[in-house]
Amino acid sequence: MDQKHASSPLAGAVHDLATEVVLALRSGDHLATVCGAAGIDEENRTGIAAVRVIGADLLLPSVLYGRHPHPGDVAVLDRAVREFPPKPDAPAATAWSHWHMISTLQRMAPPAPGATAPGTYAEPDAAWLEEAPWQAFTHQLSVLAPLAVPAAPSAVQRAAANRAVDLSRGFVRAVRRRDWLQAAGAGRWLAATGGEPATLGLDRGLDFVELMGGHDPRVTLHVRAARLMAEARAR
Amino acid sequence: MFTTDTTATDIELDLDAALNPGEVEGLYRDSRECAYLALLAGGGALLLSPPTPRPKKG
Amino acid sequence: MTTTATQDPQGRPGAGADPEGRRSWERAPGAALAVLPGVLSSALAWTDAHRTRFALPDDVLEPHTQVNATLKPLGELAQLGSTIRRTTAPGTPEHERAGDLVAYAWEQVHEGALLLELLRAEPFAAYPYEIYAAFAGYGLRHEGFEALARPLTATRAWAHTEQHANRQLGLINSERRVGVVTHTDAGGVLSRTWLGGLSEPWMFEGPSGYALTHTVFHLTDWGRMPDRVPEKIDGYLRTWLPAWADGCLESGQWDLTGELLAVAASLPGPAPAELLDAVWPVLADVQHPTGCVPETGVPVQDPAPDPYPFIDCYHSTLVTAFAAALSLRSLRGNGERGETGGAAPGRERHTP
Repeated sequence: MDQKHASSPLAGAVHDLATEVVLALRSGDHLATVCGAAGIDEENRTGIAAVRVIGADLLLPSVLYGRHPHPGDVAVLDRAVREFPPKPDAPAATAWSHWHMISTLQRMAPPAPGATAPGTYAEPDAAWLEEAPWQAFTHQLSVLAPLAVPAAPSAVQRAAANRAVDLSRGFVRAVRRRDWLQAAGAGRWLAATGGEPATLGLDRGLDFVELMGGHDPRVTLHVRAARLMAEARAR
Repeated sequence: MFTTDTTATDIELDLDAALNPGEVEGLYRDSRECAYLALLAGGGALLLSPPTPRPKKG
Repeated sequence: MTTTATQDPQGRPGAGADPEGRRSWERAPGAALAVLPGVLSSALAWTDAHRTRFALPDDVLEPHTQVNATLKPLGELAQLGSTIRRTTAPGTPEHERAGDLVAYAWEQVHEGALLLELLRAEPFAAYPYEIYAAFAGYGLRHEGFEALARPLTATRAWAHTEQHANRQLGLINSERRVGVVTHTDAGGVLSRTWLGGLSEPWMFEGPSGYALTHTVFHLTDWGRMPDRVPEKIDGYLRTWLPAWADGCLESGQWDLTGELLAVAASLPGPAPAELLDAVWPVLADVQHPTGCVPETGVPVQDPAPDPYPFIDCYHSTLVTAFAAALSLRSLRGNGERGETGGAAPGRERHTP
């Protein structure tokens, strides 16, 4: 998607937002709002749509550093959940990212007593994921990379943990295709769940993916997330 | 109510695509090794041919 | 070459073939066995029908003659033909045809006399010895060639020939075939190869791919001795071959696909059936009705004979036949590894 960030207002907004998440991840300081820095407020529909694309990764710096998210970001994420609910026939990936946004909000920013929660949304089905060929599996998991965070169990995460070798093959395949975003997403899952074959050389591979594909801030976002999770696992 | 001039339909179409993207086209390019390629070509012909287009990124 | 879409419009991946209907990685047990006999027999039929294209020209020994367009294809015909002969059951048409092709190649080198002339012309080159070893491993020998080669291969210079590690393994295998003491230990050389170093699999590409396949060919004496593959390398290959084969299919590297399949079929223990079932049907589709397989690129749909120049398809066609014979053996669980103590290495087109 590297050429796409200028191809539509949404792609541009996603690019800017991902850049701000990366900056927050890099600094470890999450006092400022990510959305504010990206110029997104609740009145900006393109911005809200961009938040829907970035999904729960909007709060990733807080999730990984164990801090309270900025209320402004929580509000915008909540707004994105309400504004763009999945249609009944939505693809599984869309349903899963929606579900994950809600569960992240519930975990990170439980509504104050009396406030309305975004509502419940049943955990989508993942049986199809368990049956998917490893190539399609990796592609889908990469799209769902925001679900690759610690302490956020889901059927997708269980599938990832059960198919670490398939994900590793998918990482290798993605690098060979120079699909850096997919490689970064697959690498993030492996960093989150572990179990990759030792010969994969994931650390160097992620360094390589970041350097080759880092012009897309979403690549950097996933690689940074992977590193932070790998460091936490090593402790 | 929204301060944007982009139509809702455009955004929703873009959003649907962004939430469920297909795979990008694979970009394959092998390292060149002059002697090796010359061997493959059964001579030096490939050395004189134009270089393979470089990938746009990275 | 083309993109691979791995999801249908509902985003439910794994629904089957991609939009071109070209391939699917759905598990299809038995898919390889369903196509392999036909792939093998038609690749051999094409080779047989084009045997005169392997004939050596009258000026083959002249310094200006391109070795890679003359002796190399013939050596490959001998090497892969003899491996197919050993891997197929006596009495089958494939067995007979492969034997005929080796006999034809032996005729072309005048029962070894031409290789002796070549060695006299270029006594310090390694390739005459490697081509000779392809025949010697099959039991076709020439006393005069060996008499001249013997002192040369006992020199310090021979033992210090400068070349890639995988090629050095080829030389060691040639020495084994001829039956002389090897100039060095294969294990040490193996550890210097891309494969032996258990390289990061995401660094795989064409050149490292060919280095890897030839490392296995030389190590296992062209699939004859799977047990020579160390356990670590066996596990490494079983883990990563599917990822590499996928890229070869998507980028239309059919020749390398065939070599990877031959590697997969040269592993000790049970056949990697899932991989063979996934990849063989694709390669079978690429094979032209006349039996030839293009080295790379979009396959020609024209059913007319000779859709590709000989030089662009002979190697991949031989490799396809070789890989098919090994895969059949592997999938049928046939532990017989040969009839007379093994095949021999030849010069391969892609060996750097």
